[in-house]
Amino acid sequence: MRSLLGLALRSAWNRRSTLSLVAFSIALSTLLLLGFERIRADVRQNFSQSVSGTDLIVGARTGAVQLMLYAVFRVGGATNNVSMDALRAVAANRAVDWLVPISLGDSHRSFPVLATTPEYFKRFQYGDHRKLATGEGRVFDGTLDQLYDCVLGAEVAQALGYRLGDHIVLSHGSGAIPGAEHADKPFTVVGILQRTGTPVDRTVHISLEAMEAIHLDWAGGAPMPGMHIAPEEARKFDLAPKQVTAALVGLKNRVAVFAVQRAVADYKGEPLMAVLPGVALDDLWDVIGVGEKALLGMSAMVGVVSLAGLVAVVLAGLNERRRELAVLRAVGAAPRHLLLVLAAEGALVTLIGAAAGLVVTVLSIVLLGPWLQARYGIGLTLEAPSVEQWSLLGAIVVAGFLSSLVPGWRAYRMSLVDGLSPKA
Amino acid sequence: MKPGKPLIALLAFVAGAVAFLAVWPLSASPMIVFVTAEGETVTPRFDPAAFRDTRWYELGPKDWDPYAQTAALRRDIGSLRDADPRAKELLRGVQEIWTRAPTNPDLDGKAIRIPGYVVPLDRGPLGMSEFLLVPYFGACIHSPPPPSNQILRVSLPAHAKGLKSMDQVWVRGTLRIARSETAHGASAYELSAVTVEPYVR
Repeated sequence: MRSLLGLALRSAWNRRSTLSLVAFSIALSTLLLLGFERIRADVRQNFSQSVSGTDLIVGARTGAVQLMLYAVFRVGGATNNVSMDALRAVAANRAVDWLVPISLGDSHRSFPVLATTPEYFKRFQYGDHRKLATGEGRVFDGTLDQLYDCVLGAEVAQALGYRLGDHIVLSHGSGAIPGAEHADKPFTVVGILQRTGTPVDRTVHISLEAMEAIHLDWAGGAPMPGMHIAPEEARKFDLAPKQVTAALVGLKNRVAVFAVQRAVADYKGEPLMAVLPGVALDDLWDVIGVGEKALLGMSAMVGVVSLAGLVAVVLAGLNERRRELAVLRAVGAAPRHLLLVLAAEGALVTLIGAAAGLVVTVLSIVLLGPWLQARYGIGLTLEAPSVEQWSLLGAIVVAGFLSSLVPGWRAYRMSLVDGLSPKA
Repeated sequence: MKPGKPLIALLAFVAGAVAFLAVWPLSASPMIVFVTAEGETVTPRFDPAAFRDTRWYELGPKDWDPYAQTAALRRDIGSLRDADPRAKELLRGVQEIWTRAPTNPDLDGKAIRIPGYVVPLDRGPLGMSEFLLVPYFGACIHSPPPPSNQILRVSLPAHAKGLKSMDQVWVRGTLRIARSETAHGASAYELSAVTVEPYVR
């Protein structure tokens, strides 16, 4: 038995160039399967960690998923604003404990800017009820003295190399085209938040009043010609926000969540909606789930294709190995031994390929992880393969072994005579 | 290869492919797994006989008539159109009564088993830690919210993985009446769950 396996190993080593190509393609498909599974799990993890302790998100009437994507993940756009009057009415509901308005739309070098009240830093929670904490400096207090103060998420500070006291300029909209900058009213970095692994890391926080101030001399999405309000003068204007993008709401008693949701939907002044973050997230997974399944299916098909390659290579090799197999038979190997030799070869190649795929997956998570985090805010975690991943790996190896039974069976059926008497 | 052989080879290969494709969806099976804060999987231990099957209507006091207070308005309901302000008034009245819906003191502290739909509240990295259990599908989202005595706030023994919005589950646990003065002065139910299982008849 052991000598047979040794024989299989040495025989495979003789044809290492072809087989290593097969192993390489199996490694690639393993990378695809494992990498996709890792990304899928981590994206879900990242998303479900991003907000906690917020019972409702209130915004202008739109899709539940869209509202949550924009308010929490800064993805997509808002369809409309919400007036502060409406939010005051919602906050007046007896069941509402706290309400934090947020305003989005501006950016700083492609990082989103979130205008909010100082309460945001006390109320916002992520992960398992974890609160935001300042790593350096402090947060703004919402007064006019600290009007042009801003607080950076950890990723913003790190990616752009900002320190406390630095001055930054915000841009209107996405900020890709120059000319739409609020260059006249620079902000001072007064605080940098600790890393959270959520979209907060990629956000520049300013006060709602500051958001009003930088847009005082703007109309229709552009600076008004001939009108300029100096940063100091802006403080003399009424900077109380009139409308914001959305609001995070916490309730005193969470059982009242449906009643409050209904009350928000029934608000007469303007069309509003309130979504439960958890429900909206599940809606999102329902939508994404189809795509995920398709991608996973594709990855699985790639796995099948590379195993087909394995079968083809070993089958094609059989013709050249007629003599080798015939010699084995001649020295006393039974047909089942040949089956074993070939199945072992296939299993070995698959095993090596899967192991190489695992190593490449780990390497690419280590090497590409920081880049993905910075670019897309998706933190890939390097952890021991999950049950899902083990089952995927197991599926690859098992399928590899099963498909190598095909050439094995073929060799089993090839008779001694077939090998020893060359055809004309 | 002789003719016929490729066919069998193909069949064997297809069998391998099917085996391959059959293994990975195993990971997607809807299992509810409890995970502690330390990340360990725990299996809840309990005595199934200790939990009494409870119906949703039992959650209201026996003599509670949710419509008693709107009887006068209801007499006219047949003649009301949807847009009629009085119809809206009626709906608001019913909702007001619903949010004040009384709880059944007999159930306080009882171990019960009740089926319902999941509305997620808190979800951390380890899974769901708290959810609302409601009696009918789409409750709260497509229709006026159910009365407050028809919403159970369920706290879990550990984080539950594999639970999602509108899943149908059996919950076993101890029911408590939380007399909170916050939301409309109404009392509400809290269910400290011992276990949550997928719903089977």
